[in-house]
Amino acid sequence: MKKLLFILTLSLLVFGGFSFKQIYFTPLYFEIPKGFPKPVYDFKNNPLTEEGFQLGRNLFYDPILSRDNTISCASCHLQQTGFTHVDHDLSHGIEGRIGTRNSMTLMNLAWSKTFMWDGGVNHLDVQAIHPITSEVEMDETLENVVSKLQRSEKYQHLFQDAFGTKKITGQLTLKAISQFVVMLTTSNSKYDKVLRKEEQFTDMEQKGYAVFKRNCASCHQEPLFTNDGFENNGLSIDTTLNDVGRMRITQKETDRQKFKVPTLRNVQFTFPYMHDGRFETLNEVIKHYNSGIEKSATLSPKLQQPMLLSDDERTELLAFLKTLTDKEFLFNPRFSFPR
Amino acid sequence: MHLKTLLLFGLLWTSLSVFSQTKSDSLLVHVQFQFDGANLKLNSTYISKQNDTLTFDKIKMYLSKPQLIYKNDLMDEKENPYHLIDIEKPKSQQFSINNTSKKKITGLKFNIGVDSLASVSGAMEGALDATNGMYWAWQSGFINFKIEGKSSSCLTRKNKFQFHVGGYSEPYYAMREMSIIFNEKSIKNNEITIQVDLAKLFSEIRLSETNAIMIPGKEAMKIADIAKNMFSVQ
Ligand code: HEC
Ligand code: HEC
Repeated sequence: MKKLLFILTLSLLVFGGFSFKQIYFTPLYFEIPKGFPKPVYDFKNNPLTEEGFQLGRNLFYDPILSRDNTISCASCHLQQTGFTHVDHDLSHGIEGRIGTRNSMTLMNLAWSKTFMWDGGVNHLDVQAIHPITSEVEMDETLENVVSKLQRSEKYQHLFQDAFGTKKITGQLTLKAISQFVVMLTTSNSKYDKVLRKEEQFTDMEQKGYAVFKRNCASCHQEPLFTNDGFENNGLSIDTTLNDVGRMRITQKETDRQKFKVPTLRNVQFTFPYMHDGRFETLNEVIKHYNSGIEKSATLSPKLQQPMLLSDDERTELLAFLKTLTDKEFLFNPRFSFPR
Repeated sequence: MHLKTLLLFGLLWTSLSVFSQTKSDSLLVHVQFQFDGANLKLNSTYISKQNDTLTFDKIKMYLSKPQLIYKNDLMDEKENPYHLIDIEKPKSQQFSINNTSKKKITGLKFNIGVDSLASVSGAMEGALDATNGMYWAWQSGFINFKIEGKSSSCLTRKNKFQFHVGGYSEPYYAMREMSIIFNEKSIKNNEITIQVDLAKLFSEIRLSETNAIMIPGKEAMKIADIAKNMFSVQ
């Protein structure tokens, strides 16, 4: 049975009431895939509508959000690669400026409590302030973005359709972007279909699943393949970046070099891997966990014991990780560049 | 009841309650920035008790959730609880508080900054809209106040000092509650003026040592404490 979350609230009444002319919003239902937990995102505060989603989609793909109109969200978050950057280890922004971290995937973020590699952002709706105002990303002010949007006839219409007002604000802009990003649910990989008994693992994938459950699932917890927590997974510190991760936010020594546990959905296509993009291939990642763990005071207790995976087990694990690929998601036309 | 009628009713009621609010059921609060008792002007030169020569480029601060204090009572202002006071925007330097009680007002309570609930609630509107430039990007949360300027004591780029004070989570929750007790004479024609004297802050800060606070933490907490000294009502 499909659980459906009812999302439309009073917005229709409120906006309809003020103008005394009927404005129609098309409510969108946020579907919770079978076996997934309750979303973290509070849809009551930002009722999803088709119009809001389409506005958010337009904003996501529009370089109008950057100072010189060259960079859009999609420049660093490409659909076909799980909405991340693939060609660079550290993300490239405006005028080719290089950031200090690898871009993140954007998938199943309705279930995420905090955002960014260090969890510094506490709500999806305020996340977009970061890339828009970052000097190495879009280098724009939100104030200026809003006035650019306000001058655009296209956006006046889209905001009117989505929120019943032509008066564009920072709040509405951010909420619209969220409406797009929060809808990026991936739940149709082979792994999901196997759990739903629509398909079967090969022998190798099945064995790999067992290896995964033994060694990886405590952090990369099913079905989201993240526990939404922060861990030190034994990467040696890159002394050119000296990124202390979560500690930058909490200022606690015990959080040194801890980073957000990323989802592994579509991991086959989300390379390069880790917060600094240090690994190009999944083989390197597996090798790291198997024999490259660097001990330090904050290394996760889950990684203190060497994994001692055999060559076969490593191949099997790799085969399992590839079952997390969801082609329907990666090529879903609803999430692509708006025509 | 029919939906439209209901809406009409609601609208009528709201507009009635807005228009029926005459001047006397509210207290108008003016906020005045000063340095050593004189009105503060951007780009004028001042000398602090620490002998730092300084000028100001920017002063913006949130005053929120004002409450009137009566003899044995408090009154909340619920309708419009967040105010961003900006030295460059005269209109922002006043706000009104509902006062429907007949009791004597003995003081004023408010927060310097923004509470933690608002800091974890996503994109907000009005004074809290992120376009106001008072929201941190890389680490969520409001900047309670920004004070920026220049001083020859600062060995920084262009001799700048920048204090962005905020932080919404313990142990670095930088919002401060402020109560000012005053007597009836402070209120004239339902108006009152809060003085914010920056000399009282810079008398405690040596600009050669402390000139850039841009993140939540111990230093921000200290500045937030000192900032309380700035507020008074004559
Ligand atoms: C220049 C490249 C770049 C651009 C442009 C960019 N991002 Fe990102 N994005 C990143 C990087 C890098 C991170 C990780 C940052 C960090 O941890 O400090 C990230 C992280 C995120 C996250 C957090 C994901 C998670 O799992 O926590 C979201 C959501 C996001 N970006 C959405 C957007 C949106 C929406 C836009 C457009 C407004 C955008 N990004 C524009 C590079 C970019
Ligand atoms: C102790 C918790 C923990 C365990 C156990 C763990 N991981 Fe991770 N994993 C993390 C963290 C944290 C990161 C992000 C680290 C960073 O970028 O600094 C990560 C990152 C990854 C990435 C990179 C994803 C991306 O988008 O960049 C892959 C792939 C990965 N892990 C696979 C595995 C596999 C396979 C296993 C089992 C062999 C495993 N992990 C076990 C915590 C863990």
